Amino acid sequence: MGTKVYFSSWRGEKIDNRGKLQENWSESTFNFPVNYSASGNATAFVGWEGVAIFRDDVDVVRLATEYASQYQKYSEACGRCAPGRWGGRILYDLFDKIARGEGELSDLSHLKEVSETMMETSKCEIGKTVPVPLLVLMKEFEEEFVQLINNRKKSKDYDNNINYNALVTAPCTDACPAHVDIPAYIEGVRDFRFDDSLEATRQTMPLAHTCGRVCPHPCETACRRANIDEPIAIMELKRIGADYETDHNLDFIHPIEQKPKNGKKVAVIGGGPAGLTGAYYLALDGIEVDLFEALPVLGGEVAVGVPEYRMPIDKYNKDIDLVKSVGVNIYLNSWIDADKMREFEKNYDAILVATGTRISKKVDCANERPEIQGYWGAIDFLDKINLYEKYGYKLTQEDRVKYNINNDYVDLTGKTIACVGGGFTSMDVVRCSIRAGAKKVIMLYRRDEATIIKNTTYEEYHEAVEEGVEFIFYSAVEKMIDENDILKQLHINKFEMQNDPSGGRPKLVKIHGGDFMLDVDYLIPAVSQSADLSLLPPEWNIELTSWKTIKTNGRDYMTSKRGVFAAGDAEYGPMTIVNAVGQAKRASSVISRYVHSGEIILTDNEIMEDHIRKLGVYNKKEKIFGWLADKNRSESEKLAVDERKYNNLEVNLGFTAEQAISEAERCMRCYYISMVAR
Amino acid sequence: MKLKKEIKFFINDREVIAKSGETILNVARREGFYIPTMCYLEKVNPIASCRLCLVDVEGSKGSILSCQTKPTEGIKVRTDSEYLYKHRQNIMKLYDVNHPLECGVCDKSGACELQNKTLEFGINCQDFSIREPHRQIENWGKIQYDPSLCILCERCVSTCNQAIGDDAIELKFGGYGSAIVLKDKTSQTLECSTCGECIAVCPVGALISTDFKYSSNAWELNKVPSVCTHCSAGCEIDYEIKHSSTLNHDAKIYRVTNNFENSSICGAGRFGFNFANVPNDEQNAKNLKNKKFDEVVNAVKKANTIIFNSHITNEEAFILQKLKEKLKLKLVNHEAYNLQKFLGAFSRSSGETLPNGKIEDVENADQIVVVGSRIIVENPQVRYAMTRAYKKNRAFISYMHPVYEPLLNNIVKQHIRYEVGTEEGVVALLSEALIGQVLKFDLDVGYVSGETNVGEEELARIYQIGKKSKKRILIVGSDIIAHEKRENIARFLGVMQKFSNIKILVVPEELNSFGVAKICQLDEKATGKTVGYNITGDYIISALKDIGHFSVPALNQQEGTIIDINHKVKKLNVAVSFNGQSLNDIANEIFDPIDCREYTIDRTRDIFNVDFDSLENIQIDSQEIEIDCTEMPNEISKLPTFDGTLVYNSRTYLEFNPFSAFDKNGKFNYENNLLIGSEQFATAGKIADGDEVEFEILGEKFKRKFKIDKDMRGVIALNPIFDKNLKAYQLSSSYKFQKVKIVKVAK
Repeated sequence: MGTKVYFSSWRGEKIDNRGKLQENWSESTFNFPVNYSASGNATAFVGWEGVAIFRDDVDVVRLATEYASQYQKYSEACGRCAPGRWGGRILYDLFDKIARGEGELSDLSHLKEVSETMMETSKCEIGKTVPVPLLVLMKEFEEEFVQLINNRKKSKDYDNNINYNALVTAPCTDACPAHVDIPAYIEGVRDFRFDDSLEATRQTMPLAHTCGRVCPHPCETACRRANIDEPIAIMELKRIGADYETDHNLDFIHPIEQKPKNGKKVAVIGGGPAGLTGAYYLALDGIEVDLFEALPVLGGEVAVGVPEYRMPIDKYNKDIDLVKSVGVNIYLNSWIDADKMREFEKNYDAILVATGTRISKKVDCANERPEIQGYWGAIDFLDKINLYEKYGYKLTQEDRVKYNINNDYVDLTGKTIACVGGGFTSMDVVRCSIRAGAKKVIMLYRRDEATIIKNTTYEEYHEAVEEGVEFIFYSAVEKMIDENDILKQLHINKFEMQNDPSGGRPKLVKIHGGDFMLDVDYLIPAVSQSADLSLLPPEWNIELTSWKTIKTNGRDYMTSKRGVFAAGDAEYGPMTIVNAVGQAKRASSVISRYVHSGEIILTDNEIMEDHIRKLGVYNKKEKIFGWLADKNRSESEKLAVDERKYNNLEVNLGFTAEQAISEAERCMRCYYISMVAR
Repeated sequence: MKLKKEIKFFINDREVIAKSGETILNVARREGFYIPTMCYLEKVNPIASCRLCLVDVEGSKGSILSCQTKPTEGIKVRTDSEYLYKHRQNIMKLYDVNHPLECGVCDKSGACELQNKTLEFGINCQDFSIREPHRQIENWGKIQYDPSLCILCERCVSTCNQAIGDDAIELKFGGYGSAIVLKDKTSQTLECSTCGECIAVCPVGALISTDFKYSSNAWELNKVPSVCTHCSAGCEIDYEIKHSSTLNHDAKIYRVTNNFENSSICGAGRFGFNFANVPNDEQNAKNLKNKKFDEVVNAVKKANTIIFNSHITNEEAFILQKLKEKLKLKLVNHEAYNLQKFLGAFSRSSGETLPNGKIEDVENADQIVVVGSRIIVENPQVRYAMTRAYKKNRAFISYMHPVYEPLLNNIVKQHIRYEVGTEEGVVALLSEALIGQVLKFDLDVGYVSGETNVGEEELARIYQIGKKSKKRILIVGSDIIAHEKRENIARFLGVMQKFSNIKILVVPEELNSFGVAKICQLDEKATGKTVGYNITGDYIISALKDIGHFSVPALNQQEGTIIDINHKVKKLNVAVSFNGQSLNDIANEIFDPIDCREYTIDRTRDIFNVDFDSLENIQIDSQEIEIDCTEMPNEISKLPTFDGTLVYNSRTYLEFNPFSAFDKNGKFNYENNLLIGSEQFATAGKIADGDEVEFEILGEKFKRKFKIDKDMRGVIALNPIFDKNLKAYQLSSSYKFQKVKIVKVAK
């Protein structure tokens, strides 16, 4: 950790090693992108909170000029307000004037004055923060500016070829695994330009309906608005663009015009969020894509795992139709095994494995035998429910016997269900069980209420409680008790949290005499899932992680076998939709170059994304000015408990027009621009 | 939402109260505190691009944007300080950087908000400059865009999107390249309804009217407040006049402007103002003048029927009614007669004299159904209200019309193209869907749904939405009024008004249809010798230039009143003088002395019991009427079918009637009129894009060039009729769909 710098000023920390020998330079605590990429190191970094200079020979005047120029060139944000637009232009022109040896001393004072007005009055953070590092450079390196002006001299690197790579990001965009341009889609809503909003989302996120409904929104924990009052309801604003397109029967809006076919072919294994995303961007790029899905339906866990009331399938199908609309060839009911993979290796230019994690892990209790009737893995349980609810696939006779169900769908009338879990999947299990008519539904969770809320969402937990799910916290199953292989009871241990007197982490300790028996018909393990990797030919020796998922470097998503890529849960382990989307988007980008050149290359933008993610964008402690705290985060209307409890109507009705605008207006457009010189 | 009802706070130490939803700027303006703005417009959401409206809030570091910030309880706002002044001044300096110093030839000079604010903040010189790329002036037909004058305030973009609904322009982001551009990147020309609101709201001279360009300095023009005469909306406008030229001191209209801050007008109103009439040569010639007047008086005296249209004032209608009484002649106005019949049946079913819907109800609605109107040209104001309803309330709009309307795509969620002629069935189905729960209609839904081509699923959707909606409105247009089953349709609508909370808004064809229908006792058919008043007849009295036997003043040349779509009485004023006689002069020759009035507007008192000059805010209220029992709709018998190629006699965006069709030089513009249809129409009519075609409607021959519009659907082509001068009124008062035989003209 930490970076050796010549000079840096960042987030209140100033390191000044000027005049010292390089070996005596001290370190900044920040992770500046000094090791830019294999192609070379950075000489300087400029960003919204200051600068970091890594060598003593950097031309700071040119650096300032280029930063101002990046703001002109790259930022989509700077057309939107007077101070930002014209101020930015003046900054660039005046810096350039000085750098090319035509500056005057009065230019420096104009620069400071314009900077102040930009920082005070700009519409977005980009206009407010662009002057920040420029003022630092002008102050700390004043001598260099003044010398150029006095000597009417060009700055030393003015005509030299130096690479400057910039990235526009925002705390929310940075926190989003798919790096969605969130401020842009929110601005689309604010301006009633719902088509623009959707187009912004689809730059990196094809599943706008879906991620506008069931995304766990890590962006909202990085929302700067929270420093003032409450974060923006980022996720809910996303569906507005998608709903607009669907409600008005518009043609699909694509982020770019589809390129003509270029003769390259890619196989995508798995039709879940990762597979769909990869297929979409590859096809947009002119690549022929064959997508193979084991189930009779597309959509993966989000289709067969997430219940209808939370993610209506007709909306998800719109996202899927978008992917189909770019001409992806889809093969359903296609289980891919190692033989097929060997074939694919010959027939395709690349393979993307996006098979997810579809094996329910055990709860790890005594007598946990799959043959006991009533023991039903969460993944399979939700499959059966959703394939019926959403697509009308009935239970086979075999399944009915196996799971002791007296109907051609999962009918739990009169039954008691216990689910062991604590994550999203377990929430889906218990809420679906209520809807399937269960007499009693119990969630067994090892930790407390606060943790379950942290691991899921407040809404999810709250809605489950409202619907009648009984939560037993600090509990675990010790043993399954059966009679002739039919589940009868669970032996439950109770725990309590005990503080470590020596100041360590609190520990869960079993309560003696706290054990009790629970009469149940079903035990549904929903603790976690693992990946089924039987499709990987053993001789490929594909490296796995310690979690038994496919290993990549987390940047280009290529496996240890060249040409075979992996994204989504199969790579990461059970994670979120948006994580799968983000990984697949990146993988598709790498693949789209790999199929032509055989090389694994990240774009400068992608390299910067990863660096900035490491540096960190959101600053929880930052004090924010210029906004009134209003605590007016909009709350969308939900179906009332009795309207939703026994059916699959979408619970969240979404924002009204007024709420959407009011929510979008709370967004502070925290765009930041950062730049590396090398 | 956690919105409090009222919030008490302070502006410059004075306690003020914000109502729900009001921003700091709203309250400040209401309470008379000045906060400078450049981009703010009342009629759209705060744009927040100029940043001039920043204010200080005590205890809060950093300035607050007053245009979009709602106040919180107890805050202390300062609208001005040295610090704010400095930043506002700096913003103005930035706005002024490189702004071309061409005020001398700029149309906006003198009415320019940039000029005003530059003076206000005392910017006398420019301390620094920036390199300026070359920028190309864009010509968008009636509209010209000069990017180097543009300050990118985005008013035009927001207005086009939020107030109008065309959504035809957008801001191209990004530093030097920032500009207003066409949203449709595939198009070279601006594809919109050409309302010209972008010109109206532009604070500088970036967006200007090509017609008006270089014709006058803003400060030389005098405003004459009046009412636009081209449709039933009766929008308030200002005719801007000055002398015609250095040699001709007669006033001429140079342009039409509107109160753009909180209202919008359409292109016909904005650009179609040059219709002032001049007495024809014989009326002007010294020795023929009296002879000509005698001729018209005799023609009226000898007439058996006066035919007229509703493009007239209440006072003119009143005189015609008096002439009928005096001369025992027939008074015929097909369109107003149909409206009377419609309203008659409506009131017998609803128990009220008038439908209860107003344009404001459209704006506030959450469910809107439009049936039997190509609303986008029939009444742009209603369409703008629909746009606002969608933007503000996300209103669910069902647009039911046989002609598909792509420009409404962004606000309409349900386009229903019913079969031509089946309006009666359509309204019956709507009644069933909307109030079928309350009232049983004896309706064979399957049959009617099949014949009308209005699917049961679509109706179910209307029903579902209706259940959730609190403010519902049904808009019916001229296709209903002109329909032969108008009375039965009116009964359906009447019971809907009576038995539900659905409001009914009737959009009539002409400016003053409601006025004429109220004032005149009309006859069904003309007999004998006819005098046409603004319409063809054996003897024609015409306000339309160069047409007819005797000329009378046009509607921008006379004072008078009309009744608009909201049943409100509005006043027209004289923008341009007319040096000749009017209908009142003719009538005075015929009437008994007791009925004679010196001026036409002396008759305003006869109609409304108020003098013209003191008339304001008169609303014709609906009256409850005694009815023994509600007249219920009849059962739907067979619905008509129209096969083959059809045309719809439609207005175009800029040409609503013959009066709107004069160009800036006063020339009647009837060239290049196109028959516009879909590819399907081309196939059905066996014609191709660019073909010259001929066809006949109600005895009127048309020769048109055919043009394919790829966005259109079905076998109905749009046929403009305004170029048929006064004969256009015969066509527009009839059912606008007509079956035609298209004949290709050999080249």
